[in-house]
Amino acid sequence: MDDLNPLAGTAHLLEEVDKKLMVLLRDGRTLIGYLRSVDQFANLVLQRTIERIHVGNEYGDIPRGVFIIRGENVVLLGEIDREKEQKLPLKEISVDEILDAQRREQEQRQEKHRLVSKALKERGLAVDANIINEDFC
Amino acid sequence: MLPLSLLKTAQSHPMLVELKNGETYNGHLVSCDSWMNINLRDVICTSKDGDRFWRMPECYIRGSTIKYLRIPDEVIDMVKEDAQAKSRNRTEMNKNRGGNASQNQRGGRPGGNRNNVGNRPGQGYGGPGNNAMRLGGAAGQGNRLPHAAKNRK
Repeated sequence: MDDLNPLAGTAHLLEEVDKKLMVLLRDGRTLIGYLRSVDQFANLVLQRTIERIHVGNEYGDIPRGVFIIRGENVVLLGEIDREKEQKLPLKEISVDEILDAQRREQEQRQEKHRLVSKALKERGLAVDANIINEDFC
Repeated sequence: MLPLSLLKTAQSHPMLVELKNGETYNGHLVSCDSWMNINLRDVICTSKDGDRFWRMPECYIRGSTIKYLRIPDEVIDMVKEDAQAKSRNRTEMNKNRGGNASQNQRGGRPGGNRNNVGNRPGQGYGGPGNNAMRLGGAAGQGNRLPHAAKNRK
């Protein structure tokens, strides 16, 4: 690609256009859809997108449609291998079940945070709960 | 079709905008610019936890605070129809140009060149929206889905 290319820097993303991709966002969410377009900021257009929620070795898919994702919120993206996709070592469960599982996991995490900050407090360490609760995974 | 051009195409359509802080805004797109700043009307704002709601007649969102936008499926179909019309147009134009080869300095490629990024001079129908990247170029990947589950909560 020459220097006049207005999309310089996204050359490799262009090769992914029209492929089925997984996109991980900075808030930890996973989206899977067909990449239809990119620009120089790595803003993405995903079509036929699903949001996949993983809890343990179970997952659930929620249909979401068309996304325009602002590039700065993307952590990584990768092509889905259609063959390997058929034999995932994971179990698909319904949306309601996965949302339930997710909520339970969230509650457990909060409980753990609560105990940790309590223990730290007893040892004279002040911890800002907001910092712990922010989940930047 | 670049992401921001698609956003422009979605003007007057309903959409969901999620901000980086997790708040979501449901409304109809009034206008947008190249920084992704947007105006919405008939807006419902939802808090991060999805437990509080605010209604407002209009709002302005600074582009840099946006995480993503969700738009209706049919907007992307509109783009496809647009692109098809353009490529038909292009094919006809190339036919016409083929007639007088002496003027055809750039050796125009025959119809439907999909990777044509940017406008070549001499094509009258250009314009800012025309540097179409191959949005939905591949056929065979069905592009219609029932418009399911519009809202997260």
